[in-house]
Amino acid sequence: MIQLSIDGREISVPEGTMVVDAAAKLGIEIPVYCYHQALGPLGACRICLVEIEKMPKLQTACTTAVREGMVVHTGGPAVEKGRQGILEFLLINHPLDCPVCDKGGECFLQDYSFWYGSGKNRFEESKIQRQKDYPVSDYILLDQERCVLCQRCIRFLGEYVGEEQLMLEGRGVHTVVSTVEGQPAHSPYAGNVIDLCPVGALLSEPYHFKARPWNIEREETVCSVCPVGCASLVTGRDGHPVRLEGRPQPDLDDYGFLCDHGRFTYDFVNHPARLEQAFLDGKPASASAAVAAVGERLARVVEKSGGGAVAVLTGAVHTVEEEWALAQFARESIGTSRLAVLKPVAGDLPLPLLGTYADLAAATGVLLLGADPYEAVPVMHLKLRAARRAHPVAVWGLGDRVLTRSTLPGEDFVAEPGQVAARLGVVLGGEALDGRWAELRRGLLETERLVVLWDGADPAAAALLAALAGQRGERPTAVLPTHGPRNWLGAVRAGISAEHAAAARILEDAAEGRLEALILLAADPLRDFPDGDLAARALERVPAVYFAGWFAPEPRHALSAMLPTAAWAEVTGTYANMEGRLQVAHGAAAAPGQARPVRSLVTALARAMGHPLRLPDFDPFQDQDGDRIARPAKQPAESAGAPARPALPPGEWRVLTGDMVAVSHPPSEIAERTREPLPLRLHPHDADELGLGAPGGLIEVAQGERRFVAGARRDARIPAGRVFIPRGLADVPANRLDHGAGVKIALADPVREEVAAP
Amino acid sequence: MLSGFKAIANGLKTTLLMLKEPRDTIQYPEKRREYSPRFRGKHMLAQDEDGHELCVGCGLCEAVCPAHAIRVVAAGAPGSRPVSWTERYAVDYEVDLIRCIFCGMCEEACPTNAVRLTPFNELAAYSRLDMVADKEELLAPPVRN
Repeated sequence: MIQLSIDGREISVPEGTMVVDAAAKLGIEIPVYCYHQALGPLGACRICLVEIEKMPKLQTACTTAVREGMVVHTGGPAVEKGRQGILEFLLINHPLDCPVCDKGGECFLQDYSFWYGSGKNRFEESKIQRQKDYPVSDYILLDQERCVLCQRCIRFLGEYVGEEQLMLEGRGVHTVVSTVEGQPAHSPYAGNVIDLCPVGALLSEPYHFKARPWNIEREETVCSVCPVGCASLVTGRDGHPVRLEGRPQPDLDDYGFLCDHGRFTYDFVNHPARLEQAFLDGKPASASAAVAAVGERLARVVEKSGGGAVAVLTGAVHTVEEEWALAQFARESIGTSRLAVLKPVAGDLPLPLLGTYADLAAATGVLLLGADPYEAVPVMHLKLRAARRAHPVAVWGLGDRVLTRSTLPGEDFVAEPGQVAARLGVVLGGEALDGRWAELRRGLLETERLVVLWDGADPAAAALLAALAGQRGERPTAVLPTHGPRNWLGAVRAGISAEHAAAARILEDAAEGRLEALILLAADPLRDFPDGDLAARALERVPAVYFAGWFAPEPRHALSAMLPTAAWAEVTGTYANMEGRLQVAHGAAAAPGQARPVRSLVTALARAMGHPLRLPDFDPFQDQDGDRIARPAKQPAESAGAPARPALPPGEWRVLTGDMVAVSHPPSEIAERTREPLPLRLHPHDADELGLGAPGGLIEVAQGERRFVAGARRDARIPAGRVFIPRGLADVPANRLDHGAGVKIALADPVREEVAAP
Repeated sequence: MLSGFKAIANGLKTTLLMLKEPRDTIQYPEKRREYSPRFRGKHMLAQDEDGHELCVGCGLCEAVCPAHAIRVVAAGAPGSRPVSWTERYAVDYEVDLIRCIFCGMCEEACPTNAVRLTPFNELAAYSRLDMVADKEELLAPPVRN
């Protein structure tokens, strides 16, 4: 620790700390443009000048590391004159068009000009004119005139993300930020440069000219798109969300970086497909009439066949409080114990193993077990990269396709489809392993702190993960489940079972005619349940299916009633992310149409049933666990293996599946621009054999009588002879295909015609 | 009793003398008073000589308004229709004249000198809704006759 004095106050900070961070610890703000803790010192903007005793000139606080006995003055005439001069230089070519600039009112160039600027500029020549409103990507506009060349955007994409898509061009006063070779910055993390830009140079296109800091509601929220649950700020104007920004959480060492899938899908709450009107038997009805009718029908079923004839499945996207209200409704008013979370995967994480993002930041080894964080939970990829920047981290990918990538290098171990868990079992068993696999075993068992990112697809892996933790003994093992739904751990906190077997039992009961009514809260079994055929049979057999939620599942004619509920950003409540951390999200928008919070919906339903529901106070936060959900204590488990599957007849393709947030995010008109048009993936050799062109095209996936057509592109990370189909894809429902039986792939006709035409 | 008559005559004299004096009241609405050009009455949105709206929809008037009487909705200016001199304009601009206290802070805050308070003060309507001046109304400032 190093002792120094800043503005007469003593502080001791670790060696290597920059003066600007040491001052921040004392609550002293030193202005910065180019410096960002995540990106490190650069010293480009020179606004952070401070006076350090025994140094002849002013020093930049962001590049000067603390020294023992240093005496720093962050104010005073010399410092103010220095900052004033720097600001005058920065504003020489600045257009001063604050009234038309989106950043106006929340701009550091404005703020520091007011605090330190001179109020007039001695530069009288005409200003250099540059590109304005230049689209850097589908979402980002660049105004080169307003740029102060702090290079935060360039360094973020180049160093932090590892995708160099922005660069400096030109020399001297002609230096500008531009895209590399004129190609758009298509990184899924590019949107963060909007938050990082301290001035109005990089702006959000969907937010362009939309609002001002004084006419908005800017509330703390949690991103709703994937289970990472990134802390964010939602901006509401006139009852609609108009912007999502990252929210740094200094106490959790989180810089508040988001991915573009999360950042630009906030408009899903106002999407035309959003359920805003209640429907009863396929016809529009007033919400109160629909609720009364559903309540009466439920009451009749309960009276006739008992509460057990009704089952409740939740999609776990509502708040913990709402899930809890649903659980109370199911148990108290209906009197059923058939209540479960609908998960898109069959694996159940042993909760004692649940890790945290802090575990990931400290990990020495990371196993990607079936999960590709870049596509499924993009911000986890950034967190992994940040951990790697801090200290060496060994990354192993064990899945049915390549899981590491150039921005996250590591060792890849590709298993046969469906045999990921079996492979892990063999590795943990330790018999007769050849070189690479033996090294994987050694790495997994001997690395100091192991974190597993598990996609939850293979149920056999759960016991193996427990066994792995047991074999590692005292060395900490943490598992982070990357699968959805986004608030499934919150539903667990609310007392709803998230075990695959529980949901499967409900659907089996339904398919065998033991259920008379099924209530779906934002659940879409046909799309999400791993066994789509079972879900289809269940929905066909149940006499009445009542849906409440944001987007009604297809086919809608199968639903006896559809009741709209208030969505994310419209209610205040808590969500639990994949580390089981409860985070409070505030509302900033109004629920559209007849949508109402689940809590008021279930109380109304209960009243209509004649069993008024009393909801006692519920606090999702439990004293002994702080802001994480309670987890059972660790239990020793045994090692387990899985049987190998029979070989396939040649010429058939095996189906791989995984989460892809670019496909599974809710319908959004803004994010439609970057929705993956070619979601299926094939190995380049296979694509060549098929005759699939370099940009990709439509292919037909057939299994038995079933035929689906969707866009596909070539991807060397997919092993030959396999086709990757993301989960939740409407065009090709991977859960309706038998993954063990293989599929036939052919070019779809439109592509053949396209190929033939030239 | 005499002193009583004297007092009445005195009072009548003052009254009669006043008949010759110039009047302090005028016959409104037939006659109207001249106001100072700096009188703060109803708002207007100014245009330049080419007919471009000066307002860029920055929202500073909305921010500074102590009565929350102003609502501004900005948008990108349509490229084909030359309504604005720059790339941003106010697609919607409303002043609630019932809330307005005519302090003139909006005028003072406006960076483009677009919103101005005219001397027009004849603000009466049959419904409250009619007292909300929209953009169209503000672009065509009324003139007193």
